[in-house]
Amino acid sequence: MGLTPEELKKQIQSARDKDTQRSSAKGRSAVDGRSANMAFRATIELVSAIGVSGFIGYWIDQWLDSTPWAMIVMLFLGFIAGFLNIYRAAMGQDFKIGFKEEKDQEVKNETDKA
Amino acid sequence: MANPLSQFEIKPIIPFQIEGVDLSFTQSSAWMGAAVILCTLLLTLGMRHKSMVPGRLQNVAEMFYEFIANMVRDNLGHEGRKYFPFVFSIFMIVLFGNLLGMIPYSFTYTSHIIVTGALAMLVFITATLVGLAKHGLHFFSLFLPKGLPIALAPLIVAIEVISYLSRPISLSVRLFANMVAGHTMLKVFAGFSVSMGLVFGILPMVMNVALIGLEIMIAFIQAYVFAILTCIYLKDAIELH
Repeated sequence: MGLTPEELKKQIQSARDKDTQRSSAKGRSAVDGRSANMAFRATIELVSAIGVSGFIGYWIDQWLDSTPWAMIVMLFLGFIAGFLNIYRAAMGQDFKIGFKEEKDQEVKNETDKA
Repeated sequence: MANPLSQFEIKPIIPFQIEGVDLSFTQSSAWMGAAVILCTLLLTLGMRHKSMVPGRLQNVAEMFYEFIANMVRDNLGHEGRKYFPFVFSIFMIVLFGNLLGMIPYSFTYTSHIIVTGALAMLVFITATLVGLAKHGLHFFSLFLPKGLPIALAPLIVAIEVISYLSRPISLSVRLFANMVAGHTMLKVFAGFSVSMGLVFGILPMVMNVALIGLEIMIAFIQAYVFAILTCIYLKDAIELH
């Protein structure tokens, strides 16, 4: 293997170029895969938020003997929380609790594009 | 064996009971032990020579190490290095659970919600404790977004708390549901192969070959998702926004 460092560098570069070409050709199926993953994630987010809040509501009802009011209220809140989680996941904020400041968001979008 | 769900049944290898509590050593425990032994072997044997030009095993070991090291560095920054062993262990045990499950006649321990739930609770409790240790009671300001009108606070705080508590559920259900769905589907298609006879049975078998490739990809993706969500949860706890 009598390669000079420059030749090796050139070889690595051409291999990398080929790789980027291939991955851009596969871009479409990658996007499809990501959308499917996103859909699956959204389902689980919604179900788990409603499940948790329903459980808490049931527990409060048992405790305060207020059946079914706490559960109804908590289920509504859980529904909202679930949608909030989906929104955050879709906006690339990745399940972060609390709202991010605008500027952070822009920086994140920039890095996502790059 | 025709039931596609029978593969998830827990079967004790060494039955053992204390005071009516079943503590048997099951096939699930056996595969967990196998996963621990195999990834320890992979990492120690792989790094035995520590050569400049890595061999096959060393290459694999370094690849896993670098993959998680980069993930931790990107998400948690420089001070996140002390959480690397935690994230790496979680990643390896999930990945090996998923991959060992792809061996015919093996058992996928990540297809049981009690296993993924315990892992998710470990992540959740660790992240919460790290946040409490680092910020004290100020940690709870996580639930109160900045610049929120005080009239809305009770509503928003309730929603944020639910959203926070639903994390371990969604983390565990995601892994568990992916594994159960995938393995059930493989079994169903394998069943089609048997019932459709020698000639037409080829079609579901071809499908199954493609599905096994997909399942192996899902095994990696789910381990990755578990690890990256661990990083994100730790990040939220470390740096309150």
